[in-house]
Amino acid sequence: MFQVISGRSIQVARLLAPRSAVLVEAVRGRKSRTDPVAKSKEGRIKVPPPVDPVEMVVLKERYTEYQLMMRALRLEFKEEVLRKKYEEETGSLAEERARQEAEEHRALMAFNNQENLRMLKLRILRIQKEKEEAERKQVEAAIQREQEQQESIKEKERDILKLQEEAKNFITLENLDQRIEEALDNPKNYNFAIDKEGRVVKQTMLQ
Amino acid sequence: MVHLSSLLLKKYHGGYVVIRLALAGHKQANRPFYRIVAAYNKRARDGKYIEQLGSYDPLPNIYNEKLVSFNFDRIKYWIGCGAHPTKPVAKLLGLAGFFPLHPMMITEAERRRALTDVP
Repeated sequence: MFQVISGRSIQVARLLAPRSAVLVEAVRGRKSRTDPVAKSKEGRIKVPPPVDPVEMVVLKERYTEYQLMMRALRLEFKEEVLRKKYEEETGSLAEERARQEAEEHRALMAFNNQENLRMLKLRILRIQKEKEEAERKQVEAAIQREQEQQESIKEKERDILKLQEEAKNFITLENLDQRIEEALDNPKNYNFAIDKEGRVVKQTMLQ
Repeated sequence: MVHLSSLLLKKYHGGYVVIRLALAGHKQANRPFYRIVAAYNKRARDGKYIEQLGSYDPLPNIYNEKLVSFNFDRIKYWIGCGAHPTKPVAKLLGLAGFFPLHPMMITEAERRRALTDVP
């Protein structure tokens, strides 16, 4: 029946008998129905509060009046709620609102269509321009490629001519003996001397 | 448009709406402050409510007044939808004039007057 407490509920406990050493507080429902009754409560008989019959009659009358009035109020409020709902759904204002919304919707759709057409035109122009640009670029690329081809052909021709020129100095089977004799007759000296100032001396010791 | 509030509110089997006082969570000892609230019957006293319909301060202020506020429009709506007010809320509304005076209030006043008149 009593529970040990501490902290905030100290004020509550101080109101109850603070004779015990530990501060306690009353808690409902600690005993079950099979526990024995406490010694201080042995002869106790629980008695309901006394009822005055005159007052009770008056009170009953007042209660009937009160309940009648409450029921009437409730029904009135219910009716008001239903009426409000009905007016909102099928009232005069609702039609106007619906009409206005439909008009707004039509106007917006028309605006949207206009915008779409305008964007379509711009898009077509843009695409046309891009196509033309692409075609021009293709033509230019073709021309470029042609030019490069021509240049490479020319280079190859030049190389061939150079080779032909050099072919006159080649050593062949007929020239072999002649060229050997020429080489042996003309010894070439590739030695040279150079100093730090850069003076080149090609004259060296013979043989 | 689907009213999402009715889909989000929990479905209670056999539950009904009450208009009652809920303690506003100021968490200060010995200083209560109540909110007049429309909530489901099964919810905790201070738990989630459907709508707040006013407030009540039980301690008198420096001019010796206890302040109460009501949102009569929404109270009418909820009572029209079938909400039950509790005894203290009915007493407060009776004092405000929105409801008729509660019979227990009249009898208690008479008893107190009898006690003061006798001596």
